[in-house]
Amino acid sequence: MADHTPRRPIDVAIARAFDPRRRLSRRSFLRDAGRGTVVVGTALSLPSILAACGIGPGASATPASATPVALPSEPAGTLNWANWPAYIDIDEETGEYPTILKFTDETGIEVNYTEAINDNEEFFGTIQPDLSAGNPTQWDVVVLTDWMIERMIRLGFLEALDHSRLPSFAANVQDLYRDPWFDPGNRYSVTWQSGITGIGYNPTLTGREITRFDDLLDPAFAGRVGMFSEMRDTMSLALLSLGIEPANATVEDARRARDKLLEPARSGQFRNFYGNEYYDELANGNLALTIAWSGDVSQMKLYDNADVEFVVPEDGGVLWSDNMAIPRRAEHPLDAHLLMNFWYELDNAVALTEYIGYFSPVQGVAERVREDAATAQEEGDAEWAGQLEVIAETAFPTNETLENVHTYRRLSEDEEREWNELFNEVVQG
Amino acid sequence: MPHRLRWAVPYLFLLPGGLWLLAFFAVPMLVMGSVSLMEGSLSTGYRLTGNVGIYPEALGRWAPQFLRTIGYALAVTALTLAIGYPMAYTIAFRGGRHKSLLLLLVILPFFTSFLIRTLSWKLILADNGFVLGSLKDWGLLEEGFRLIATPVAVIGGLTYNFLPFMVLPVYVALEKVDVRLVEAATDLYASRTQAFLRVTLPLSMPGVFAGSLLTFIPAVGDFINAEILGSRDTTMIGNVIQRLFLQNNDYPQAAALGFVLMAAVLVMVAVYARAAGGERLTQG
Amino acid sequence: MTAPAIPVGRELAAPVPERRRPIGRRAAALLLPGYTALAVAYLFLPIVVMIAFSFNDPGGRQNITWQGFTLENYVDVWRRPDITGPMLNSVVVALVSTLLATALGTLIAMALVRYEFRARGTLNLLIFLPMATPEIILGASLLSMWVSLGVQRDITTIAIAHVMFNISYVVVTVRARLSGFDRRLEEAAMDLGASEWVTFRKVTLPLIFPGILAAALLAFALSIDDYVITSFVAGRTVTFPLWVFGVSRIGVPPEVNVLGTLIFLLAFVFIAVQIWIGRRELRARPADA
Repeated sequence: MADHTPRRPIDVAIARAFDPRRRLSRRSFLRDAGRGTVVVGTALSLPSILAACGIGPGASATPASATPVALPSEPAGTLNWANWPAYIDIDEETGEYPTILKFTDETGIEVNYTEAINDNEEFFGTIQPDLSAGNPTQWDVVVLTDWMIERMIRLGFLEALDHSRLPSFAANVQDLYRDPWFDPGNRYSVTWQSGITGIGYNPTLTGREITRFDDLLDPAFAGRVGMFSEMRDTMSLALLSLGIEPANATVEDARRARDKLLEPARSGQFRNFYGNEYYDELANGNLALTIAWSGDVSQMKLYDNADVEFVVPEDGGVLWSDNMAIPRRAEHPLDAHLLMNFWYELDNAVALTEYIGYFSPVQGVAERVREDAATAQEEGDAEWAGQLEVIAETAFPTNETLENVHTYRRLSEDEEREWNELFNEVVQG
Repeated sequence: MPHRLRWAVPYLFLLPGGLWLLAFFAVPMLVMGSVSLMEGSLSTGYRLTGNVGIYPEALGRWAPQFLRTIGYALAVTALTLAIGYPMAYTIAFRGGRHKSLLLLLVILPFFTSFLIRTLSWKLILADNGFVLGSLKDWGLLEEGFRLIATPVAVIGGLTYNFLPFMVLPVYVALEKVDVRLVEAATDLYASRTQAFLRVTLPLSMPGVFAGSLLTFIPAVGDFINAEILGSRDTTMIGNVIQRLFLQNNDYPQAAALGFVLMAAVLVMVAVYARAAGGERLTQG
Repeated sequence: MTAPAIPVGRELAAPVPERRRPIGRRAAALLLPGYTALAVAYLFLPIVVMIAFSFNDPGGRQNITWQGFTLENYVDVWRRPDITGPMLNSVVVALVSTLLATALGTLIAMALVRYEFRARGTLNLLIFLPMATPEIILGASLLSMWVSLGVQRDITTIAIAHVMFNISYVVVTVRARLSGFDRRLEEAAMDLGASEWVTFRKVTLPLIFPGILAAALLAFALSIDDYVITSFVAGRTVTFPLWVFGVSRIGVPPEVNVLGTLIFLLAFVFIAVQIWIGRRELRARPADA
């Protein structure tokens, strides 16, 4: 940078800090800058400040190290865990999380559980500044969707796991979730829950069975169709309907998908592009059919509106997973490992799936849920038995289903921007 | 206070607040300004390249949303004025002993989270909720009619949410109006309408001005109403900026759009200030 | 025989007695209050709906159709730390930021209205710009600054942000009130021997107090409401709007309505007390402005 002002200590410090050969750490920053540096003075050397923001070059370019994070000998006794809402079993009466309490009983570790994640990108935006600057993020465990995990690995934002601390994972994980496309060898993440993006619809409102993505574009349903504002889900389904495998899609293919969606979008075919809110709209009948997540529709059938069905489109659905990972410089990594291992024990995995109804990555869950359903039936609790039956169906995809699901494309930085821009045109009129 | 230090008094008054704003508004804005001139991406890092071209680029691409947003905001300001002025007038001139109580009634609903209020509107205006559903059942509306996911709902929501920002300043201005001036006008054979138009209304203009600004500006930047009550076709510039920021991680473009928005607002406000009879912002 | 009463001269010029106002005028007189009553009803409609649905007993995630009355939600809400936590955070932040912003903003307003000084133009710009800036930019810029300074984001940074955006609104509101203030009252007091400080306390402050109160109320409402800026600078802290937004995406639970109702009642009580105190003072001091 051409900077003609004399080099104050703070500038020297910052300049040294974003030397790509040396990661910026808060301690070194402060030590070099000396105490008593005036904030205003700092602000005046803008390019330097921006580098320290983590938006500068170099600070974030360190690739992920595959060396497992160094673990202390004893757990710290506390842990900060960020997850999505409605993604864990909860005791409605007391508002407590029974399985988390069980974890605390067994290990003595207090868990600060916060439903801080509503959207992958949004959450990423809150932790990216810290991660780019090499600072701890306040979280020890985060639950993010596979493509976001892939991005964070690429950016070096995750700690590599020490699998010697995850014996239950090794023993119990389903093959489908071992060594996934976005994290070979599970070096940085283990699956929390998984699901399929397909189509949810109300047979009474649609008047017919829905089987393909193109049904969403049927003018007969104009104004009552829902789409996702989530780029990957929507684009992948659109690509599949064009006969293109998302994992192999080029930018040109993405353009074709955009073209396919743009015209209907402009003509008002879609009521709106939704995030989680599509649930309400489908349940209360504002939508006749919509892109949907499998677990949501199961829950809807059980609790809110029994007249809905979930279908994997003929041309293909998308299988995704949400995964637990440890952000770089997390303060309680050992506790994090213990938590991750805990959820791979069969009892705990069963408790989780019985409540939220998505696919479990743990072996034996589906069978156990069926056993519990049978037990409930015997004990005369027909309602609970019925619910468990439904959940058993959705606890793990059938082989038949698995043949027709695909995964997201691993998007490079540039591709992601291209796809986002194309999709933006569709979503924002 | 010693006379020689009298000059310091105004500075003493404005120093705490002024410093606060400098530290927590001005400085961060400078940071953001630099971000808009950067290029790059998350993994390669952003570099300050002085890419001024981002501004025309962003403006060109998002012009329809900009225009739509300004249009909505103008509609909202006009509506809040139309709805709120009579309310403020009634409270100020007819309130009598109950002025405070009435004012309380007006402000009270806005002590709940605006998210909850907007969500309540979503419920009220729901396709088959108790309002529209009943009207449909009685055959007064056709089946496919809907308010949610239309501009009407978005503007309605914005109007509702910003109504007190118009009512309060107008009330404050009207309340200062000396009733004897109005009486004097009627004594001089002005009709009540004339008295209003020529005495009360001009005297209340500072309040109208403040209220219009307090309504227009947040309306232009809002995205919550459009998100909860709107659809793709009601996308406002706030939605665009939010999406660019938080979902596309396109900080330079998002920051640039933000500054363009700010500039547009400032220009419109300056024009309004001139048109409102040279009423400078500095005057109360 | 008495001559028929033909109005003449002075009688013609006399105003028409109230009792015999024609229907048109009576209706017109009712127009404004009637309109205001309607407007108030419109303002309260979502609130009524919110309160009503706080008593709803929904089966699943959705709370949009009436499924049964229950008081359970009101009990339930206190037992859930994931709800009471954010609520407490919001109230604390709102109180603190209201106090600070009102104080700082009133001082600035007084400086602007009553004194001549050189930085006037810059100050006006500095006050006006935060209001003209989209909240999303305010939030993102603050976040960038905190991160670059290595400051942990929590309830303190939220409060700081709230004070920042509230100052402008306080200044605008108080200034509107101040500029009509009659300085001669102060001069009169000082002529009668009161010192500047006493004058301020006993003459100025009580007279501008309604303006300050209005500004404080506005600041409180803005703070407790704030979603966008807070979402950027909250860090791990969850405030009430953040919680509502998060949870509303999957279906608004009745607990949201319960809390909304409670905040509403709290505000009601707070303001009612203010008014009651104001009335008492008015009665104690009969002749007042």
